[in-house]
Amino acid sequence: MKKEAFTYPTSLGLQSHGAMRLQQFARRMGACPGLLPRLPRTVEAVRPISLLLSAVILFVLLTSRAAAQSSLEQIKARGELVIATDPTYPPFEFKVGDKLQGFDIDIGDAIGKQMGVRVRWLPLEWAGVLPALDAHKCDLVISGVTITDERKKKGLTFSRTYFLSGQAIVRRKGDTRIKSLQDLKDKMVSVQMETTGQFALEKIGVPRSHILKFDTLQEGLLDVRNSKSDACVADLPALHENLRQSYSELELVGGAFKQENLGIVARHDEPNLLNAVNLALEQVMVNGDYAKAYATWIHEPADTALFAGLDKVKGDGTTPADKLPHGAVVAVAENAADQATGAFAIKWSLLREAMPSLLRGARVTLLLTIFTLIFGVVAGLVVALCRISPFAPLKYLATVYVELVRGTPLLMQIYVIYFVLPAIHISVDSFVAGVMALSFNAAAYISEIFRAGIESIDTGQMEAARSLGMDYPAAMRWIILPQTLRRVLPPLTNEAVALLKDSSLVSVVALTELMRVGKEYATTYGSPTTAYLGVAVLYLAMTLPLTYVVRVLEKAWQPISRPRAGAPAIPVVKEAAQA
Amino acid sequence: MTPSAVGAPILAIQDIHKAFGKLQVLKGISLDVKEGEVIALIGASGSGKSTLLRCINRLEAPTAGVVRFRNEEITAANLNQMRREIGMVFQRFNLFPHLTALENVTLAPRKVLGVHPAQAEKQGREILDQVKLAAKADCYPGELSGGQQQRVAIARALALQPALMLFDEPTSALDPELVGEVLEVMRELAQQGRTMLVATHEMGFAREVASRVLFLDSGTILEEGPPEQVLENPKQDRTREFLARVLNRA
Repeated sequence: MKKEAFTYPTSLGLQSHGAMRLQQFARRMGACPGLLPRLPRTVEAVRPISLLLSAVILFVLLTSRAAAQSSLEQIKARGELVIATDPTYPPFEFKVGDKLQGFDIDIGDAIGKQMGVRVRWLPLEWAGVLPALDAHKCDLVISGVTITDERKKKGLTFSRTYFLSGQAIVRRKGDTRIKSLQDLKDKMVSVQMETTGQFALEKIGVPRSHILKFDTLQEGLLDVRNSKSDACVADLPALHENLRQSYSELELVGGAFKQENLGIVARHDEPNLLNAVNLALEQVMVNGDYAKAYATWIHEPADTALFAGLDKVKGDGTTPADKLPHGAVVAVAENAADQATGAFAIKWSLLREAMPSLLRGARVTLLLTIFTLIFGVVAGLVVALCRISPFAPLKYLATVYVELVRGTPLLMQIYVIYFVLPAIHISVDSFVAGVMALSFNAAAYISEIFRAGIESIDTGQMEAARSLGMDYPAAMRWIILPQTLRRVLPPLTNEAVALLKDSSLVSVVALTELMRVGKEYATTYGSPTTAYLGVAVLYLAMTLPLTYVVRVLEKAWQPISRPRAGAPAIPVVKEAAQA
Repeated sequence: MTPSAVGAPILAIQDIHKAFGKLQVLKGISLDVKEGEVIALIGASGSGKSTLLRCINRLEAPTAGVVRFRNEEITAANLNQMRREIGMVFQRFNLFPHLTALENVTLAPRKVLGVHPAQAEKQGREILDQVKLAAKADCYPGELSGGQQQRVAIARALALQPALMLFDEPTSALDPELVGEVLEVMRELAQQGRTMLVATHEMGFAREVASRVLFLDSGTILEEGPPEQVLENPKQDRTREFLARVLNRA
């Protein structure tokens, strides 16, 4: 199923050396599974730093474990079950407007009802889902997660299987070169990064250079449609849903070639909660809720095998595909895409529909940026003053901070602040965590801008101020900094614009900012072009006024732009202002 | 012209040494300055004129030796207090480019002495009038000529009503035709009885205005005395050589 990292033992051999060592390290230390191999899924380049991250998260686990008690009593006591999910995966979980929908959502809600508690969904980027479980930000994960032996070995526990799924192949309509998995050996095949689709291809010997890994399934399908890839391998239900929505040019090749079982994920040290979930799930499966959800989202009656063998369906991912009850699903896929308009066309009605949500996302982005700029500029200035301070410890400390922040990825800093701080009993909400992480990061860069600005001011300025009897702080305040501020305005603007866009990284801590909203729409409606057009327009709508304001400011502050003592002064001021 | 109103000692320099790394710039300079004296420091570039001035108000900390201002040693601790009484004018003006001429003059009285802004402005305009720049009060330094900038810089130092003024080659960075207006202002200050130490290459100015001329060579005072003696009948060969070079240049 989706987002599968290490389903097959053979896939380990294809991992980088670093990643393997990482696993061994993690296993030895008893790290929570899933987390480590999943990080690379977000950005491949993240892999080297995940070792560091794992160490950090191990620390969290070790320290937080003592505090963790059986969640079941706590859940009952507070009357709320928190479930994390990555809602970019129709038909299982996706967003329509601000509303979460999908098969998993209905199942989760029904389980909550059975347990007598309400369900609060925690929508996260996939890279943040399992870390959230580790950090006790949620109680369960229901996000189309495949049950695998690898994961069990690493200590994740799963509920009983609640969905039978499988991997399938998509080709352009009428491309008869591709009839089975074996035909893909010499073809270009797109997959969603770090999914079982990818590992199935690696297993049958498709060269790595022929496997095109994309962040989302939709991009993979788009690549096939654009004839850059010959085929795409992914989960059958997800393929089915996407083809039905948007890709009339594509078709499925037969049914699933590989079975996968989906389960609900819980922390391994909470058997009571897991028992309660299983009990509730079984009730949901027989009381009609399950059948209703299945009919709504999978567009077919639920297959009987799942019910008939209620106690036998213990998924290990090895059941041969021909024993699967997938015929019905495949049959629907054949007449898919009736109302599809293609992934490329700009759907104006969708854009209109999405605009309120996009605007709300833009508001979050803007607030994040504004708060970060305020804190970042203040902190950056303080750090810069420390760095040029003659007091050695201060200088040293500031240098270490700047090098540390500049030398590590922002994504990791966000992880640390959101997922690690709770271990030392500092738990902040997503927005605060986002602002903290971004400010922490931006301050380092801004401090360097300030430092360069301060050091560019002629030393004679400080001497003149000091010779007038001003102390160092007064000279800084009245002479050096006013000049610095004017001089650093352009690079500071640059930083602000970069920040506005970098803020999209905080979506891993459940902040639904602009880029995230765009992603959700792109996946929900299978129309990346439309969603990202809206995103681009809104980003521009924020950056252009910013740069305009700065231009006006720069003009207003022009008179000082020529502090060239000694050079006979010609009033260039006005000419420069016109330039 | 020798000012008559020479009074009590105001500055006493005792055996000042200054080294930058291995480079010995000042090698034991002692000097007493009385109130109302105008002392011209002459000497080749690198002879230590600027460094001596900068050691007096501690823009450079002397390696050894003591500077006493009104019998009180200038130390890192009382520095800001002392500097209010010792004005300094730089070769490169060092005006604050983000402030108007008037703001340049009023900033220190307001921020250092705590003078009320309205009062500071009134005084500032008077001082600018003194350096004949009342009309340029609201101009930024970038809009002024070099000579005008240097006169604003003098006004800025005067605004704190210092008892001693240090001039570090105040006309060296100016175009020749702008030198006169700055010297004119300095001449007037001398006539008012201001105590001044002036590092300069303007021998005419030194001869006319200074009460004493010091010839610095390689970090020591090689020769000192009234201008007519040092400038016209120098005892030392080095002084003669230097004067010959400077006068030939002009």
